Amino acid sequence: MRSLSFFFVFLLSLFPILCFSFNPESPTDRRVLVLLDDFSLKSSHSIFFNSLKSRGLNLDFKLSDDPSLSLQRYGQYLYDALIIFSPSTEKFGGSLDLAAVIDFVDSGHDLILAADSTASDLIKNIATECGVDFDEDSSAMVIDHKSYAISGTEGEHTLIVSDDFIQSDAILGETKIEAPVLFKGIAHSVNAANSLVLKVLSASPSAYSANPESKLLSPPLLTGSAISLVSVVQARNNARIMITGSLDLFSNRLLRTAVQKSGSQDKYDKSGNELFVTEISKWVFHERGHLKAVNLRHLRVGETDEPAMYRIKDDLKFSVEIYEWSGKSWEPYVADDVQVQFYMMSPYVLKTLSTNGKGLYHASFKVPDVYGVFQFKVDYHRLGYASLSLSKQIPVRPFRHNEYERFITTAFPYYGASFTMMAGFFIFSILFLYNK
Amino acid sequence: MARSLAGFLVLLLVVSICEGASLFQPISDSHRSAALELFTPDHGSFKSLEETYEALRTFQILGIEKKPDVTAAACHSISETVGSSSSSPKDLFYALKANSIAECKIHEKASKDIISSLNAAVRGASSLLDFYYSVGGLVLIKGQSSEADIHLADADGVFRSVKAFSQSDGRWRYSSNNPESSAFAAGIALETLSGIVSLASSELDQSLINTLMNDISKLFDSIEKYDDGTLYFNDKLVDGHEYQGPLSTASSVLRGLTAFAAVTTGNLNLPEDKILGLAKFFLGIGVPGDAKDFFYQIDALACLESNRVSIPLILSLPSTVLSLTKKDSLKVRVTTVFGSNAPPLTVKLVGGSSSGSKDASLVESQELKFDQGSGLHTLNDLPKSIDVGSYTFVFEVVLQEPEDGKVYVTESQTKVPIFITGLIKIENSEIVILDSDLGSIESQKKLDLAGKNAASLSANHLQKLRLSFQLSTPRGRAFKPHQAFLKLRHESKVEHIFVVGNSGKQFEIVLNFLGLVEKFFYLTGKYDMELTVGDAAMENSLLVAIGHIELDLPEAPEKAPRPPPQPVDPYSRYGPKAEITHIFRAPEKRPPQELSLAFLGLTILPLLGFLIGLLRLGVNMKNFPTKPVPATFAVLFHVGIGAVLLLYVFFWLKLDLFQTLKVLGFLGVFLVFVGHGTLSHLAAASAKLKSA
Repeated sequence: MRSLSFFFVFLLSLFPILCFSFNPESPTDRRVLVLLDDFSLKSSHSIFFNSLKSRGLNLDFKLSDDPSLSLQRYGQYLYDALIIFSPSTEKFGGSLDLAAVIDFVDSGHDLILAADSTASDLIKNIATECGVDFDEDSSAMVIDHKSYAISGTEGEHTLIVSDDFIQSDAILGETKIEAPVLFKGIAHSVNAANSLVLKVLSASPSAYSANPESKLLSPPLLTGSAISLVSVVQARNNARIMITGSLDLFSNRLLRTAVQKSGSQDKYDKSGNELFVTEISKWVFHERGHLKAVNLRHLRVGETDEPAMYRIKDDLKFSVEIYEWSGKSWEPYVADDVQVQFYMMSPYVLKTLSTNGKGLYHASFKVPDVYGVFQFKVDYHRLGYASLSLSKQIPVRPFRHNEYERFITTAFPYYGASFTMMAGFFIFSILFLYNK
Repeated sequence: MARSLAGFLVLLLVVSICEGASLFQPISDSHRSAALELFTPDHGSFKSLEETYEALRTFQILGIEKKPDVTAAACHSISETVGSSSSSPKDLFYALKANSIAECKIHEKASKDIISSLNAAVRGASSLLDFYYSVGGLVLIKGQSSEADIHLADADGVFRSVKAFSQSDGRWRYSSNNPESSAFAAGIALETLSGIVSLASSELDQSLINTLMNDISKLFDSIEKYDDGTLYFNDKLVDGHEYQGPLSTASSVLRGLTAFAAVTTGNLNLPEDKILGLAKFFLGIGVPGDAKDFFYQIDALACLESNRVSIPLILSLPSTVLSLTKKDSLKVRVTTVFGSNAPPLTVKLVGGSSSGSKDASLVESQELKFDQGSGLHTLNDLPKSIDVGSYTFVFEVVLQEPEDGKVYVTESQTKVPIFITGLIKIENSEIVILDSDLGSIESQKKLDLAGKNAASLSANHLQKLRLSFQLSTPRGRAFKPHQAFLKLRHESKVEHIFVVGNSGKQFEIVLNFLGLVEKFFYLTGKYDMELTVGDAAMENSLLVAIGHIELDLPEAPEKAPRPPPQPVDPYSRYGPKAEITHIFRAPEKRPPQELSLAFLGLTILPLLGFLIGLLRLGVNMKNFPTKPVPATFAVLFHVGIGAVLLLYVFFWLKLDLFQTLKVLGFLGVFLVFVGHGTLSHLAAASAKLKSA
C-alpha cells in the first residue's frame, strides 16, 4: 500500500515533465535553466528575465556551483534551453560540465551564453566548441574611439555602441532596431571554417580589443569588423545558440540608458538593447524562424493519386506545404526561394517553387529521360530560419516495349519489303504446286 | 550559496567600475521611473499588505506624485484585516504599517480589539519575530489611534526577554532554540527594542540601554568591506529559508539603528566612515530590478537621510569627462543620498595625478567656487599642468559650520577619476616610398588626415614604405594615443595590422617589404591602406583610408604559408541556387517522309517484276486437283497460308506476340493437316504419272 502511494506520488511528480516536454508540434522552449554567478543578477537583469517569463517561459534560476545541477534525469532532458549568465564560473556544480553542455546542444536544445571581462576558461571553452573564439588576452575589452556612447561618466570608450546588425527578419524581427545597441565586454571572432556561425552584431571598423589600461606594443589580435559582439549559431539539428561577450548587454542598466553615439546628433531615450535582446531571445527559443514542411505530394499531371513509380518523360506536379511557427500557432510561410530537386546522385532538375501565399508551394516538370531511383528533395536553408531538409524516394522506369513509337515512316520500306515478299511467297506457293 | 557573496562582489565591482571607480551618484529620476515600473498594482491593488506598504513607502520616500491610486483598495483590505479577529500579529503589523501611509480610518472598537490582542501576543511571544510583530503593531497603533494610553505593562520584563536572544558578537538569534545568529535578526531586534522603549510607561533601566549600545558597536565591528570601500552586513550562510542577501540584511540593521537612535537620548558613537560606507553600498547597487530589493535600498537610504546620528553627504560629479578644447569647467555637487542640498560647505581640489603614475600631485590645492543657484561647486579653469589624459583628482569637503559636523558625515578625501579630452593637432603627415639600399625617396605624398585621401602608390619587395605624422595636445605637448594602427588590406581581404610607434611628437612606421613578403603570403596586388588613431582623451579620433599601394612581390616558393581562410559572407551562402533543367536526349535524325515513301514504292517493284515474269512464262493452274476432296484440301491449305500471312499483318498492326503465337499454333496444326493431305495427293498424282 505504501509503495503504491509512493508510486502515485512519483507519477504525479512526473506529470509536469510529461506535460511540458518538447513537442515538435509547438517548438517553442518551455523550460529554461538559468545559471547565475549570484542571485543578485536576477534583480539587475530583471527586465530581460521578466520579458522571458511574460512570454510563457518557465525560468529555473540556479547558482552555477549548485551541487544539484543536472540537465537530465533517467535519460530525459529536464530543460529545453540553457542560459549561462555566470561568466566567472571555473567549474559547474553537480553533473554539469563542458561535455554535458555540448551534449545538451547536440541533442537539439538551445543555449544563451554571456561572458564578460571575468570570463573563465570553462565559458571560453564552451564558446570555442560552438565555433566562437573569445580574445585570449583576459584583460582585453572592446574599445572603440569612434563609435562609443557619449556619457558623462564613461571616459574609457569601452561602453561602445553598434548598429551593424545582421540583415535578417528571422533573427531580429520585423521591427527595425532604431537606437544603437550598447555593449561593454570582450570581443570574439567567429571561426572562418565554421559555416554555421553568424555575426549578428559586429563592431565598427575602428574597434579593437585591448586592455585599456596598458600600452599597446603589438597589434591586437582582433580589430575592426572582424570583432563580433553577438554571434548566433544554428546547428544542423536546429539547436540555436547565442554567444556574446557582454553580460551587461542584458542588464537593466544598459536597457534603460539613454544613448547618443559619438559624432552623431541623434539622441535616443533608450538604447536598442531591450528590443535587441528580446527579439534575439525569441529567435533562440524558437518563437520565430522555425519552419515545418508537411504534405509533400507529387502527382502525374491529370491524375489524382500519387503513383508508386514514374516513367521517363512523364509530366508531374510536385507540392509541399511550409509553415512557420509564430510562437503560438503555425502560420503560412511565404517566400519565393524554396526549391525542389529531382535528385539521383546529383540534381537532374532543380526548380524554384511558386507559392499561393497560403503556405502551399508547387511546381511541375517533366521527369528526365534517365531511369533509376530518384528523390524529391527540398533542402531549404535561409538566413535565420530553421533548415528544412526532406526527401522522398521515387523510382523512374524506362518505356515498356509497347510504349515506343510504332509505324515509323522511316521503317516503311522494310515493312513494304516484308509484305511484298509475303505476297510473292503466297502466289509462288500456289503456282509452284499447280503449274503444269 | 557561499559563492553568491563573491558573485555579488564581482557584480558590484562591475557596477562600480561602470560608475567610475569610487564615484557614487545620488538617487535620481531614473529611480523614480523605475519605482513606477516595479510597483505596478495588479487590478488596482497589490498582492499583499506587505507589498502595499513597500510600494506606498517607496512612493512616499521618493516623493512620487503621479503614483497609481491604490488607496481605496488598500483601505479596504486594511479594514478587513484589522476588523477580523483571526488576523495574526504579522498581518496586523503590515496592515498598520500600510495604514500609517494610506491613513485610512480605523474604527474605535477595532483598534481597541487590536490593542488587547497585540498585548496578549506580546505576553505569549516566544520568538524574536513574535515580539517584532506584536510590539511593532502596538507602536504603530499608538501613532494612529486616538487612544493615548497605550503602553506595555511590563516593559522591563519584555525588554529583557527580547535581549535574551542577543549573542556576544552583536548578532541575534531568531528564537532560543535556534543557535544561528544573524545580523538581519539584529536589525529586527533593535527595532523591537526601540518600540518597547517608546511604549514603556516609565523610564527603562539605563544599564539595559547601555549594554544594547555596546552590542551595536560590536555589530558594527563585524561589518564587511568590498574593495571599493563600500561596507555592508551579511549573514553567514544558513541552509534554511531565513538567509537574506547583504542588501536586506544591511537594510534591516539600518532600520533598527534609526529606530533605536530615535528613542534614546544617548550618543551612539558610530564611526562616521562606516555610515558612509553603508551609504555608498546602497548607492553602488544602482537601480535594482526587483521590487523587494528596490524597497530595501530606498528604505535604507531614507533611514540614512533622516536619522539623528549622522547624515552622510555624497560627493558626485555631473560629468567626469571634461573637454579641454570646449573649456568645460570642473563641477562638483555635494548632496545627501537623495540629492537634497547639503549645509554650507566648501569643496577643495587638493590633488590630482595622472592615473597609473605615482608622481606627486600636479595641481595645487584650491577651493571650488560655490554657485547658490545650481548648487554646484565649480572650478572654471583647469590648472595649466593638466593636459589631456586620465587623472585622479582628490577632493576635500569641509563643513563651514562646526555644528553641522555633529549631524552630517563627509568623507575626508574623495578620489575621483577624471578624463580630460581635447582636440589633438595632427601635422606633417606624409607617406613615402623609399629605395631600400640608398634610402632615396622614390615617391612622396602629403596626406591630410582630417580629410579625404587617395594616395596611389606602387612598390616592389625591394622598397620600403614610410608613413609619418605628428600629434600634439592642445597644450602643445607630445601625445601618445592608445590606438595608432596602420592596416593594409589585400584584395583577397587578408589584413595586416601594424602599430605605429613614436618618439616624442613624431610618429613613424617603416615597412620594409623585403622582410614582410612571408607575412604578406607573397600576395601581389592592390593593398588598401587605412590609418586609425584613437584615444580615450582624443576628441577627434580618426579612421581614414589613405589610398592604396600596388605591391609587386616575388612568386611564392612551394613551401610558403597559405593565407588563412576568410569568412564567407553569410548572405551569399544562403541565397537560392541556380535552377537546373534536364536536357533530354535529342530524338534521332530521320530521313524525310517522302524518301521513305519513295523507297516503300521501290520495294513493291520486285513483286511487280515477279508477277510480270510469271505472266510472261505463261503459268497455269492445270495441276489443280479436280476431285472435290483434294480440291477442298488444296483450297484450305492455301487459305491457311494466307491466314498465317494475314496474321503477320495483324501482328504488325495490333496484336502482341502471345496472341499471335496462340493463333499461329492453331493455324500451324491446321496447315500441317491440310498441307499433308494436299501434298500427298500431289505426290501420289505425280508418281502415278511417272509410272504411267
